[in-house]
Amino acid sequence: MKKRLRLTQCLFVASLLSSCGGGNPSGTDEEFKPSLDAQTQCFIKVDGDYSNFEALEAEFDRFKEYYPNVHLSYVKIDGSISDVLNGEEAPNIFFCHPKMIGNEQYASVVSHMEDLSNPALKMNLDCIRPNLLKRDSEGKVFMVPVFSRTYGTIINKDLFNKEGIKIPNNWNELVSVCESFVEKGYKSPMMGYTNYDLDSKKERTKVSNGFQNTVAYPLFVAELAKNPDALALANKLDPSAGQYMRGALQKIRDLIDNGCVSLEECDKLEDNYDKVLLRFLDGDIPMMVCNGDTVSGIKKREQKSDTFNPDKEAYAPFKYEFYPIPLTEQGGYFIDSPSVQFAVNKDCENLDMTNEFMRFLLRTKELDNLASLKGLICSTKTTPFAPIYDPFKKVYDPVYAPFNNVASDRRISPEVIGIKDELATQIRIASFYVGRGELTVDEAVAKYGQFK
Amino acid sequence: MKKIWVIIVNVLIMVGMLAFVFVYSDSEYRATAKRQVEHFETTTVSMGRVTENYLEGEQRICDVWSHYINDENMTMEQAAGFIRVSHVLKNASAHLIYVDDFTGLSTRPKSGTEDNFDVSYAHLNLLNDTSWIHEVGTHINISRSYTNPMNGVQSIAFCNFINLNDGGNARKAVLFRVLPISELMQKWVFPQEEFEKAELSIIDKNGDYIIKNESFKNSNFFEFYNSYADNPIDNELRKKVIADTGSFYMLNSQGRQCILAHTPFDTTGGLAILSLMETRYLNATTQNWLLIGIVSAGLLALFIFDVAVMLYFNKRLQITAKEAKSASKAKTDFLSTMSHDIRTPMNAIIGLTTLTEKNLKDEKLVRENLRKIALASNHLLTLINDILDISKVESGKLNLVPQNFSIVETVENLMNLSQPMIKEKNIDFSFHISRMEKEYLYADQLRINQIYINILSNAIKYTEANGRVTVDMKEEESQKEGCVRLTYRVADTGIGMTPEFMANMYQAFSRQTDSRVNTIQGTGLGLAITKQMVDLLGGTIDCQSESGKGTTFTVTLDLPVAEHQRAEMKLEAMDALIVDDDEVLLETAVDTMNSLGLKVEEARSGQEALGMIKHKQTDGKNYDIVIIDLKMPDMDGIETIRRIREEIKANIPILLISAYSWSDVEQEAKEVGVSGFLSKPLFPSTLYDKINEILGTENKSAEVESDYSDLKGLNILVTEDNDINWEIISALLETYGITTERAENGRIAVEKMQKAEKGSYALVFMDIQMPEMNGLDATRAIRALDDPWASNIPIIAMTADAFSENVTECLNAGMNGHIAKPIDIKLVLKEIRRIKEKSKT
Repeated sequence: MKKRLRLTQCLFVASLLSSCGGGNPSGTDEEFKPSLDAQTQCFIKVDGDYSNFEALEAEFDRFKEYYPNVHLSYVKIDGSISDVLNGEEAPNIFFCHPKMIGNEQYASVVSHMEDLSNPALKMNLDCIRPNLLKRDSEGKVFMVPVFSRTYGTIINKDLFNKEGIKIPNNWNELVSVCESFVEKGYKSPMMGYTNYDLDSKKERTKVSNGFQNTVAYPLFVAELAKNPDALALANKLDPSAGQYMRGALQKIRDLIDNGCVSLEECDKLEDNYDKVLLRFLDGDIPMMVCNGDTVSGIKKREQKSDTFNPDKEAYAPFKYEFYPIPLTEQGGYFIDSPSVQFAVNKDCENLDMTNEFMRFLLRTKELDNLASLKGLICSTKTTPFAPIYDPFKKVYDPVYAPFNNVASDRRISPEVIGIKDELATQIRIASFYVGRGELTVDEAVAKYGQFK
Repeated sequence: MKKIWVIIVNVLIMVGMLAFVFVYSDSEYRATAKRQVEHFETTTVSMGRVTENYLEGEQRICDVWSHYINDENMTMEQAAGFIRVSHVLKNASAHLIYVDDFTGLSTRPKSGTEDNFDVSYAHLNLLNDTSWIHEVGTHINISRSYTNPMNGVQSIAFCNFINLNDGGNARKAVLFRVLPISELMQKWVFPQEEFEKAELSIIDKNGDYIIKNESFKNSNFFEFYNSYADNPIDNELRKKVIADTGSFYMLNSQGRQCILAHTPFDTTGGLAILSLMETRYLNATTQNWLLIGIVSAGLLALFIFDVAVMLYFNKRLQITAKEAKSASKAKTDFLSTMSHDIRTPMNAIIGLTTLTEKNLKDEKLVRENLRKIALASNHLLTLINDILDISKVESGKLNLVPQNFSIVETVENLMNLSQPMIKEKNIDFSFHISRMEKEYLYADQLRINQIYINILSNAIKYTEANGRVTVDMKEEESQKEGCVRLTYRVADTGIGMTPEFMANMYQAFSRQTDSRVNTIQGTGLGLAITKQMVDLLGGTIDCQSESGKGTTFTVTLDLPVAEHQRAEMKLEAMDALIVDDDEVLLETAVDTMNSLGLKVEEARSGQEALGMIKHKQTDGKNYDIVIIDLKMPDMDGIETIRRIREEIKANIPILLISAYSWSDVEQEAKEVGVSGFLSKPLFPSTLYDKINEILGTENKSAEVESDYSDLKGLNILVTEDNDINWEIISALLETYGITTERAENGRIAVEKMQKAEKGSYALVFMDIQMPEMNGLDATRAIRALDDPWASNIPIIAMTADAFSENVTECLNAGMNGHIAKPIDIKLVLKEIRRIKEKSKT
């Protein structure tokens, strides 16, 4: 089993380090050289589900330096991308997800996607980590990841220093650290969003993707990565695969039962984004468990926090970084999965200019810039943990730097090993209920494949 | 003031002016910018009003539909049918959505279908919180932009609550009047061209965009502001943006400064319209820097120009100072020289006078001393005249006094003046003329004399004993109408000049020095005066010289020809013989004599002349006239004449011609039988007059000049206040038998003339500067007398006021002539004779 795991991990690492085998040899990472008439006047629209994509708008500005008469806009769409693509104002570029490929439900969406690996387009796919690049059975690339997402915990480094506690590197240290903080009066050394998603009336709507999943998912993926047979069963939602969740689910219980996490305190968080970040920025939470998408908003939330406002009495800024959660004796994992992917609508107006923009964007420099501004992990090969930009201090902060220390055999790409969405749903829901105490570990294991 | 201080002051002024311009321009810029901003705000407000009216109009339609649907208790299908009928806009649609399950009907089918009107807002998160929808008719209930689930088009909607009949029960729903944003955006632009770069957005009370344009980033305006500002937006400004009209500056996503104008509309709903434009598009920006730039460039150019001019003038001043210093030194040197040069003749005069007083009985010594005193006096006079002339020239007061004059007389005068020195230094002198057809010219004779005399006297002065001086004068056609071109060339074999000296030879007080001639007396003014005179007469002067070999000066003057010339001069056809060893003279003399009608033969020596005369006699003929040069090798002119008279016994009129003074040979020449004397150069008129004279009255010619017996018995009234001057003039005139009466001043002279009988005085000599009445006033008074004789009596000024304007002043006062003191008695006598001759006519 160990041999298989190592083989899989070696393949992943090799794919990280190598260039994209079937990629386009024409595209380069050199300085962008416009290939169209600089005075071209047209509109390009990018549709996505981010309510706000200022980082991409900054890229629009940079692109307009070459094409000043090209008008680019980002539109947050409501509802189905399929409706938009087939509607009267179809976008040029749109957000998409790897699960769409080969999924009948998204056939109409995929039918609009342009093959970006077409050599004629000269897209520089080589700059992206190959493990993030989704290819179909023919090796075609219909979408390119612009960010990566992972799971971890934001650590208040100044608080650790203040209390004289070392940042934990493995499970035992983590438990010990939590005990130390509890002893010093901290009610919940670790926090995260543990509740249901709430609507505007604060009514429960659905299972959230919070603390529980952030802890359980990496452990479950790592467990399946060791055992391809188990992975196959799990992907088939075979109930027998539920046992492979056990370790992950038990860790949640252990964290709660050991006093590392106080559900009571966590339930005070009203959402899984703003409130999580603002609570952490209050400065009295040693560790806030979340994923990279949440971390991306932390710099802007500093503005809203009294702790980071020099005009407030509570002003006491501190240093923080995002760490893998040391849930095993060997430490934590870097689960490297794509966050946002772009596809080009091959049926859109101004396709040439759309591809020109993609050529402009698919370069290490621009993708790093995009990730830095967005505050997410970058999808490029060379600088995955690039510092993120602090728009107020006008500086770059290496928030993701601790992930550089994750050993290569603990870097796992769910896409490479073949994790399917349905599987992810099972662990997310199971862990949520276990964490909430609504199911025991055994009950959750037994219900594998039945969570909707 | 030192140069550096001038520059510092200039720089300070420049900086001050720039600062002023900057401050002024800045204030103007601020004022302009303020106006622009106000204008921008006003335009935004206008746009707000227009937008509000438009949105209200759309909302009103929604309100009308809602009222009607509510009033008619319609089912969803009935309501949808009603709206389909009412709807006229092509791209607009309406959605009727139940608030409990977010489903409903659309008035238009889903894209790609014809009969699917079902619509769901379940994923839109628009109706989870409906607090933004107010009662019908009270607000503009406008939604955020969202994706129309029926066609995927980004849209906004005007909404109202409605109650639908659902199986007899009233069921709460929301009516969405849906409009595509793209259509609105196309119309929603700034009307003013000056703000074409401005973009608009509408935000709700939270800053979320309802509608946004390209330059507005993020999904929330305040987040956009915070992303690029140095500090987060404060609550006060947040409130202002939503509730007030105003503007402020902010940075856009490219870090450029922008002006953001905001104005609320639908105040109860908390909507605001924003307009954003980069400040560089405000006109005021560029004008400001353009002005400062131009002023800066202008001041800098002025500064550079000033500095350049200052440096130029400094340099000029340095040169001028150097020149002044040099001039001062030159004048000091000159004064020193003058002191020496004046004292030298004065010393001679005083010393010789003392010697004479002590040896009055030694007649020979007295005579010799007096001759030397006269020489010293003349030199002193020349010196004083030169000083006065250069003074006049330098002060620019030298005026020309043109008058008719004879060039022949001028040359004669030139010859007379130069003879003593030529003789003294035994200079080999020759004077050639060529084609001198016009005798009388109209110009300032005095200045021309000065030019010719200065050059010739210099040549003689700077030529060593036994050296050679040659003068050539020729007449040519002039380019100037009514003029002839007179070229005067004097060449010597003197000391010559160095190139260094020649570079400054026309400057005053410069004299060439040479060990051979360091005893030469001179003022160093001669050439300077000559050059000024030539320039004044519009001529040119050229000099070729080589140190140690000699100098050649050439003066060319275009001089007007006098109206009256001598009548044509023709003699009877006579045989003439001219004898001279000088080929040039022979050539010109033969031409001249031929032009007078003579048949001329020439001999180049005395021996040859003897042979020719003898040969002529053997043919039974004689020359009618023979002209023989005085100085010839082997046999000179006197010896030749003597032998002619002795050997041939012919009574042929023989004229002796020479470029030298007659005084030494006159007696001997007369003894050997010379008929008359001719001075070189040989002018036609001179020759014509002399031949006529010889053939008419023999042996008279040489006597006329020195015979003043015709003046004996004249009585002259001398008006002179100075006793010594009176004594001199009266004594001098008395020696020629001329009596005088004195008037001590002008008034007495007038009185004497009033009382005098007709013919009492031949003329009046009038001093100018006198007590009681000066000479000018006295002359005017005499001219005003009733007695015609008295009022027309010739009056000659006799004054030390020797300048040309003094002469003019005298003539203008009514005088007939001018004699400068110290007086030359021969000039006085000549003037008296001229007056006498004139009175005869």
